Amino acid sequence: MKCTECGFEAPVQNFRYLYNARIDASISLRQCPQCQARLAVDELAGEATQKVGDGEAPWGKSAGIEGLAEDNAS
Amino acid sequence: MATECKECKSFFPMNENPEKGDCVQRVVDPRQAYYKARPVDAGADASKCGTFSKK
Amino acid sequence: MAAEAAKDLSIQELEKEGQWWWIAEKKRSRRLDYLRKAVWKKGALGGNYAPGIKVDLEMPTLFTNMYNWWKYDPPMLRRAKALAHVLDNIGIFITDQAQLVGYFGSMPNTIAWRLDGASIVNEELYNEPGIMPEPEEESLKKVAELNSYWSGNTAVDKLARVLDPEDAVKFLSGAIGWGAPTSAYGYSGKDYEYIFAGRRGFLDIIEEIDANIEGAEDRTMGMPGPDILPLYERLQNWDAMKLILEAAIRYAGRYARLARTIAENFETDPKRKEELIRLAESCETVPAHAPQTFQQSLQYDHFIQIICRLEAHEGAWPARPDYYHWPMYDKDVNIEKNITGEEAMDLVGEFMIRAYEVGGFGPRWAREGLQGITGTWVWTLGGVNQDGSDACNDLTLAFLKAARLVRVSNPTFGFRWHPKVSDKIMREVFECIRHGLGYPSIRNDPLLIQNSMHWHGHPLEEARTWVHQACMSPCPTTKHGVQPMRMASATANCAKMVEYALHNGYDHVVQMQMGPRTGDARKYTDFEQLFSAWVQQMEWIMNTLVRTVNLGRFKDPEFYGRPFLSATYERAVESGLDAVSPVGERGNCWVTFFTWVENADSLAAVKKLVFDEKKYTMTQLMDALEANWEGCEKMRLDFVNGAPKWGNDDDYVDDLMIRCLREVARHSREMKCPCGNSWPALPENVSGNIHYASIVGALPNGRRLGDALYDGGISPGPGLDKNGPSAVLKSCGKIDHVGDGRAFLLNQRLSPTQMAGEKGYQLWKAYMRTWADLGLDHVQFNMVSDETLRAAQKDPEKYQEVIVRVAGYSAHFVDISRKTQDNIIQRTIQGI
Ligand code: SF4
Repeated sequence: MKCTECGFEAPVQNFRYLYNARIDASISLRQCPQCQARLAVDELAGEATQKVGDGEAPWGKSAGIEGLAEDNAS
Repeated sequence: MATECKECKSFFPMNENPEKGDCVQRVVDPRQAYYKARPVDAGADASKCGTFSKK
Repeated sequence: MAAEAAKDLSIQELEKEGQWWWIAEKKRSRRLDYLRKAVWKKGALGGNYAPGIKVDLEMPTLFTNMYNWWKYDPPMLRRAKALAHVLDNIGIFITDQAQLVGYFGSMPNTIAWRLDGASIVNEELYNEPGIMPEPEEESLKKVAELNSYWSGNTAVDKLARVLDPEDAVKFLSGAIGWGAPTSAYGYSGKDYEYIFAGRRGFLDIIEEIDANIEGAEDRTMGMPGPDILPLYERLQNWDAMKLILEAAIRYAGRYARLARTIAENFETDPKRKEELIRLAESCETVPAHAPQTFQQSLQYDHFIQIICRLEAHEGAWPARPDYYHWPMYDKDVNIEKNITGEEAMDLVGEFMIRAYEVGGFGPRWAREGLQGITGTWVWTLGGVNQDGSDACNDLTLAFLKAARLVRVSNPTFGFRWHPKVSDKIMREVFECIRHGLGYPSIRNDPLLIQNSMHWHGHPLEEARTWVHQACMSPCPTTKHGVQPMRMASATANCAKMVEYALHNGYDHVVQMQMGPRTGDARKYTDFEQLFSAWVQQMEWIMNTLVRTVNLGRFKDPEFYGRPFLSATYERAVESGLDAVSPVGERGNCWVTFFTWVENADSLAAVKKLVFDEKKYTMTQLMDALEANWEGCEKMRLDFVNGAPKWGNDDDYVDDLMIRCLREVARHSREMKCPCGNSWPALPENVSGNIHYASIVGALPNGRRLGDALYDGGISPGPGLDKNGPSAVLKSCGKIDHVGDGRAFLLNQRLSPTQMAGEKGYQLWKAYMRTWADLGLDHVQFNMVSDETLRAAQKDPEKYQEVIVRVAGYSAHFVDISRKTQDNIIQRTIQGI
């Protein structure tokens, strides 16, 4: 897997697993061992998709009536 | 004779026993202003007190 | 929204935007605004104390000096003398504009340190960065001295020497339980019926004690016999109680003196002078005498709470203010019209602020489990009188209104709903929820009264006095019902039940054989083998915790002792025994069940995918769990999405939930507390779901080590309740909320847009009707949008006052960790 921030490459398990806030989603937060960035990782594809900053939501909006629509808060 | 608390502006003796009293101070901290008190003896040594102020 | 921008908007515009905290600022009186902003926030921010918060070293120093001086005294008397010395000498203060006084530190920015509770806590305090008063080096030296005095002598140190060593090690591993088995960190109920309903001041109690002493002395001077032998110890206890009540009166007198000193020497504003004189009169009246005014009634209650907190850490605040302060409110506001409704509102708001500012040092596990607050101050409102009539009144309304003005995250309210509650009151309850406070939680009063009678045999009239003993559990405020020591450490990390059932009792996180060896799960050929292992692990966890706590309770009067609490308990004043002694108490214990729903979801997933559908083998599952699902994402998603989950009205998993609960309830009746009563379970979580994220290993519900657990009680997993709010209620309604356990927490998230206006209220009311019809005992709501919460994550400075419901408590959103924040945001928003 390649870090979207610094380009560091290593097997996905070398990126420290932080957590997944949506158990039914295949997205986790992992930390790059080189630049320490918090990354959203697509666990099925084994790919980092973005750096996650404050207020950013890789899981999208909450489930429920507002569905998993795009987060428009940021 | 050494300076004693009873000579200080902050000292307020108790009515029932003037040998004892409160050291009352005004404090303004970053969030609030208040008066604080702690018991002191009228005859306590005030010579090393940094907040002594003569009555 | 920035403060400047908010200032320019009207209240209507702010309402439209849901900017409730700015509305509160605009609506509250200048006094409440000042007092609210004056508070030093003591809750740890995601685990760390805010800058400027310092540990108070006066109380620990004063207490230790006098405790050491009286080393030959029996336990209760020795502690009474040490505590009296604190009350006579600790620094006190009166904040500008305040009308109520009393804090358990010597300055407003201090947190109290309970140094006689546990050496491990004392060591943590020594190592906590940033909280030592300046000069730091001197403070550290002082703390080190105090620590070495108490090392080996704290309540927990003493208990550890009598505990079974194996129980002690397993308990202290931190994997299965939470808290400490001592009243040093317990929660005490207050005997409100004795003090407030009985209209007793401390001088009245002293008179009762004197009569008891006289009676006992007559007997100890009389005919020798075994019956007089216990009296010698009780005489010393009565002396202790009397001594501490007298010290409490002197303590109030110190505030009175300070108020008069300020009025006579410093204050120039005549109105404030008058207030200070009234404050002085208040402290001269209570606690010596029964209160005569509303202000005195609140002041009396607050003094009792503060002195109890100088005596023990007190992690909760069981209270029923609209009920016990109603007579004086009614007299002052309605009958004699001594004060106006607005003046009363200032007092009610300040009463909440005085509780909000209270904070003691807590070890890291407690701070992580209770992020943003320092204890669960859940005050009880509403409910019924002892004759069953509606107890709601104008003061109930005043508290609900004041909550929206002061917007504190602690205390919160639990509202005792029953069918006779008026629409007027329900609207105020809803307004608090709509304003995003996360409270009141709604409790089903008739059902919980029945529950109290069922589990603990409280007579109907006593059961009807119930207050929230902590976040959730009802407890009467009567002579034999009141509970002096909430069993804080009987708090089970329940996800370990299924984890141990799968791992033969071995804990891979703490690397220790914990539970019994129930078999190698790889060899299971049938679901019943797994379930039977689960039952054994469940019983083992409950037994280990309860054994420890029972012993702690039994030995507490000897190892700790509570003279002040005893002096305010009718049964202790009468018997001369420590209030914590089980003698005379009916018993009201419960085992708090953290991380509970993971059991049903995990068991259902294994049953379905391994044993029913045979899609995976037990070996494949165990390999995946041991790898923490790493490299098995497709399989993990199958265990999440391909197996039924609790909260969707699906009998497959719901039946398993009920089956688990019935096994627990059976065992709850087998275990006994020191009073001989049962130990029912109570699923709820505070923020233990975050604390245990790094302690609970991978589970078959698809969770990995590191992920937050579900938000607790019987709340479905975040995002897993896909069939709407009625399905959640129907699943929860399958539980017998009387016979299956003591209470069951349910978190629900509603859409602020949908809940707007009259239509929103009517929708909510209809929802609450279904909730009541289905026989649920609890529900609480978050009503803050994703948009606001994400914006608060991005720009915390601007959203300091956004409050959310975490679990059994509320907290300011910016004070909780990112992981907890994400967990809250991912909870399903239910359209109702
Ligand atoms: S302690 Fe210091 S400030 Fe206080 S009364 Fe004595 S001399 Fe004055």
